[in-house]
Amino acid sequence: MTEHSKQAESTFALRCVINGEAQTIETTASARLLTLIRDELELTGTKRSCDIGRCGACMVLMEGEAVNSCLAMAYQCAGKSITTIEGISKGGFDPIQQAFLEEGGFQCGYCTPGMIVSVKGLLDSNPSPSEDEIAEALSGNICRCTGYGGIRRAVTRAIEGRMLAK
Amino acid sequence: MGMNAQGSMAFPQVWHPQTAAEAWHLKQSFGTDSVYVSGGTLLRTQWESGVAAIPKHLIDLSAIRGLGEIRIGETGLVIGGQVSLEACRTHPIIQRHFPIVTEALRQTAAPSIRRLGTIGGNIASNIGDSLPALLGYNAHVVWYNGMEDLQITLSEWLKIAGMLHTERLLLQIQLPFQADETLEGHEVEHLRSVISKTKRFSAYHKVGRREAFTPSVVTASVSGSLSEKKEVNEIRIALGGGQMIAQRLEELERELLGKVIDVQLLRHVYNRIMQLYKPREDLFASVSYRKTTAAHLIASELWKAAHQ
Ligand SMILES: Cc1cc2nc3c(=O)[nH]c(=O)nc-3n(C[C@H](O)[C@H](O)[C@H](O)COP(=O)(O)OP(=O)(O)OC[C@H]3O[C@@H](n4cnc5c(N)ncnc54)[C@H](O)[C@@H]3O)c2cc1C
Ligand code: FES
Ligand code: FES
Repeated sequence: MTEHSKQAESTFALRCVINGEAQTIETTASARLLTLIRDELELTGTKRSCDIGRCGACMVLMEGEAVNSCLAMAYQCAGKSITTIEGISKGGFDPIQQAFLEEGGFQCGYCTPGMIVSVKGLLDSNPSPSEDEIAEALSGNICRCTGYGGIRRAVTRAIEGRMLAK
Repeated sequence: MGMNAQGSMAFPQVWHPQTAAEAWHLKQSFGTDSVYVSGGTLLRTQWESGVAAIPKHLIDLSAIRGLGEIRIGETGLVIGGQVSLEACRTHPIIQRHFPIVTEALRQTAAPSIRRLGTIGGNIASNIGDSLPALLGYNAHVVWYNGMEDLQITLSEWLKIAGMLHTERLLLQIQLPFQADETLEGHEVEHLRSVISKTKRFSAYHKVGRREAFTPSVVTASVSGSLSEKKEVNEIRIALGGGQMIAQRLEELERELLGKVIDVQLLRHVYNRIMQLYKPREDLFASVSYRKTTAAHLIASELWKAAHQ
C-alpha cells in the first residue's frame, strides 16, 4: 500500500478556488460541498432542499459545469474551481439574472439560484442551444411555482441578450 | 426534505488507493465497515434515505490509474469505470457506434448528476439504466478479484452478481465494434456486399414516471440485424427495470434466429417475454404491468425493424 492510499485522516484541508478566490477549508473529506458553502463560507445563495440530487436548488458550477453541491464531497472538489450564484453576480447582475427578472422567470425564487447556475453552465459551453438541449440542461432543476413558462422565456431572452452583447 | 445523514453520523475516513490491488486490500481489511465509492451519487441517495448506513471507511476509486479514460482497444472501445456518465453520453465514438448507450445515458438522471456519477458505479449497482443498452452490444467487463484482472461478458457478470464478493472491483467496460468496423482490405469488400443486404436495428426504452429522477419501471433494449427477407440474423434482447438485475433473454434470442419477422413470430415474442421476464413488484408497478409493457415494447420494435 502506498503512503498516498494511507492518507485518510479524519480532518481534511480542502484547497480549491471559490468564486475566483483561493480557499483552504478545514473540514472532513466526506463533508458535502453544500454544507461547506452555506455553513462555513456563509454563501447562502446556494439553496438546500431535497439533499439527494433531485431538485437542483443546490446547483453550483464546478470547472464551469453545473453539479449538485449536495452530492459532491469535499475530497471531490480538491483543486477545483467552484462558482456559486454569488460568484455569477460578482460584477453586478448577470444578463441571465436580468432575463429572469424581465421575463418573470420566478415567483417564490427558491429554485432561481440553481436555475441560473444551470443556465450559465449551459450557455457558457453552448451559446445557442436547441430546445431539446435547454430541456436536458434544466432537467435537474425543479420549480414548484412558475410552471416553467417564464423560465423558458427567460432562457430564450438570455440567449438573445448574450448574442447581441457580442 | 431528506434527513441530513451527515448530521447524525460520524464522518467516514476516505482512502485514495492508487491501484486496484490497494483498493482491494483496503476493502478486505475493513470489510463491511467500508464501501467502494466512484461518483458517490447512488450511495448518497442510499445514505440519505436510510437504505444503507454511512460506513466508517470510504474507498475512493478515482485515483486508480487508467480508469478515467475512453480509448480504442484491439477489438473495441474501452471505457474506464471512472469515466463519468456525461462523458460517455457526449463521446462521439459512443454516439456513432453505440447509439442506444447514448440514448440510455440521455435518459439517466440529469446532466449535473451524470457529471459526478460514473459508468462503473452504474454497472456495479447491478440496476443501472445503462445495463440493457450495454447488453445490447454484448459488452464485456474487466474486473479485479484480488489476484488478477478477469474479463467476462457483462451478461455473465450480471448472472453471478449475487455470488461475487463485495471486494470485487469493476475496472473497465469493453464494447466490441461490429465486424465491419474492424476489418481491412478485401475482407471489407466482401463484407460490404453482405452487409448492404442486411439491416441493422437497435432501440432502447426506459419507461418510468419521471425519466430523469425515478428508477425505471421497465428498461428494454433490442438490437440485431435482419436479412433482406426479414429473417433474424442476429438478435439481443435485454430487459431490466426497478430493482431487477438486467438480463438478456437468451432463450428467446435463440428461438428467433433464422425466423422471418411476421405477425405469428411477434405473437410468439410477446408470449415468451410474458413467460421469461421476471421483474420484481414494488410500490409503483405490479409484475404483470411490467411484463406487458416489456412485451409490447420489444414486439413493436421488432415490427418497426422489419417494416420501416
Ligand atoms: C437524482 C438522481 C437520479 C438518478 N437517476 C438515475 C437514473 O435515471 N438511472 C440510473 O441508472 N441511475 C440513476 N441514479 C443513480 C446513480 O446516479 C447512477 O446509477 C450512477 O451511475 C452511479 O454511479 P456512481 O459513480 O455515483 O456510483 P457510486 O454511488 O459511487 O456507487 C454505486 C454502487 O456501486 C459500487 N461501486 C462503485 N464503483 C464500483 C467499482 N468500480 N467496482 C465495484 N463496485 C463499485 C459502490 O460501492 C456502490 O454500491 C440517480 C441518482 C440520483 C441522485
Ligand atoms: S438539495 Fe441538492 S439537488 Fe436538491
Ligand atoms: S419560483 Fe418557486 S420554486 Fe421556482
